Amino acid sequence: MAPLLQVESSTKRFGGLLANREVSLAIEAGEIVGLIGPNGAGKTTLFNCITGYMHPDEGRIVFDGADVTRTRPERICRLGVARTWQVVRAFGRMTALENVVCGALQRTNRIAEARARAGALLEFTELRGRGDMPAATLTLADKKRLEIARALATRPKLLLLDEAMSGLTPIETAAAVKLVRRIHEELQVTICVVEHVMEVVMPLSHRVIVLDYGVKIADGAPQAVVRDSQVIRAYLGDRRAAR
Amino acid sequence: MARLALVLGTLAAILYPIPLQIQGTTYYQTVGFLVLITAMLGVGWNVIGGWAGQFDFGPQVFFGVGAYTAALLYVKLGVEAWLGLLAGVAAAAVICAVLTYPLTRLRGHYFAISTVAIWMIAQPIGATWEYIGAAQGLFIPMKAHAGIVGSAVALQFSGPTKALGYYYSALVLFALTVALMAWVERSKLGFYFRAIRDDQEAAESIGIDSRLYKVLARSITAGVFAAGGVLYAFWALSVFPEQVLELNWSTLPIMATVVGGIGRLWGPLLGAVILIPISQIMSTTLGTGPLAGRGIDLIVYGLIIVVIAAFRPTGLLSLPWARWFGRRRPAAA
Repeated sequence: MAPLLQVESSTKRFGGLLANREVSLAIEAGEIVGLIGPNGAGKTTLFNCITGYMHPDEGRIVFDGADVTRTRPERICRLGVARTWQVVRAFGRMTALENVVCGALQRTNRIAEARARAGALLEFTELRGRGDMPAATLTLADKKRLEIARALATRPKLLLLDEAMSGLTPIETAAAVKLVRRIHEELQVTICVVEHVMEVVMPLSHRVIVLDYGVKIADGAPQAVVRDSQVIRAYLGDRRAAR
Repeated sequence: MARLALVLGTLAAILYPIPLQIQGTTYYQTVGFLVLITAMLGVGWNVIGGWAGQFDFGPQVFFGVGAYTAALLYVKLGVEAWLGLLAGVAAAAVICAVLTYPLTRLRGHYFAISTVAIWMIAQPIGATWEYIGAAQGLFIPMKAHAGIVGSAVALQFSGPTKALGYYYSALVLFALTVALMAWVERSKLGFYFRAIRDDQEAAESIGIDSRLYKVLARSITAGVFAAGGVLYAFWALSVFPEQVLELNWSTLPIMATVVGGIGRLWGPLLGAVILIPISQIMSTTLGTGPLAGRGIDLIVYGLIIVVIAAFRPTGLLSLPWARWFGRRRPAAA
């Protein structure tokens, strides 16, 4: 069976900077994939290419059998890819419920139906009672949950989480990890997480992909990847890798 | 509380001209007409400016498109005013869509400037295009009408009931506009417009075609402006380029919207009720004195805008009225 998402030697340049160099990867339906790498490794660029906010200079991206290399973000969402953002982007002047309603309206034109679905998703993401609050007034942790609820409302097949846990306290992080697991198990959504916190990615992911300076340097089971000498060098420097 | 205000406001709007009319005064009916036309345009501008968050300073182009379309249909083909109104609204919405689609690549100030640019292009077209009368404009000949019904159907009132007739016509159009925009606000369109205003990228990530919905928002605004233009053309019995493409057709409704409450359905009405009488009072009380016709009303408008911007940028309707006057818990805005 063809993978749900296939990135074929995608290259993205910003002037002289190679943000992604011939990155190839595949995500199978039902996986949780961790995408890691030091700052500036090109993780968010890759996310932006997959979700249509940027288009790769070379290479090809195929989602669910459709070539989406040059497709606009809203169409990619319709095909079944949803994302969250490194810096939260809630609709600040709308209420939490209305934020999620906007997502749900992707799959229905009826406001009542969208509201019901949004209410259920606020429940699912443990935002019950926050529905009537303006999104701008929520805490960071709640805003991140709200973004996830809004993304889920579009009924995605693949959910891309860009640093869904950064800036959270350890307790909030644990709750977020639990939420990601529940999305995977209860809603059967394939998930790709970008994350800095190794303690989060390693136990959560079935498979880990490592980017460094725009190049994929490792792809495999978490236990194998942490022992990979190139990965250790990228994260800890040459001296450690030599040991 | 809100429902009571709506009922009382509607009754006041319907009944206040009657004693005046009996008494033989028509001045306040004309003021009411100007308040309603400004409020109606403001309600329309709220769609692109308040909900979709795109600053459109060129909707007066579509006021002109509406006025010209209905006047041309009437003068050249004898089409009645209300049919001309429908045609004007449709023409404005379509022309707006075609003109706006390329502009939606621009954002923020650049979008705003481009809307002004289109207006600047429209002015010389209106002033030089022979078919639409060029600088001489078009005159709308009066016809004889049988009674009130005949006048209302033709949207032509004259004599002592002229002001009253146009006042009630404006009231009907205003009510229709508010009802339609209330529906838009609660529909998918209303949600999508506000999503784009709050964060365009995030809106796209949940499948909202931001360019399409910006075009839709501006075309709805254009349709309302076109309806206002038709009403104005039949009131003035003429369409002149410098009259219908006048900048005030956007600045007054936008000011009314900002004063009353941007993004709030009833904001423009409150703003228009405050602003329009000011300019009327100024021009009558200052009369023929040294300050007459020197734009004193604009200075007062400027002061009001400064005060609102400094102390309540979300407009007067955003003040906690429900807490001050309501008995029940305030409803969510």
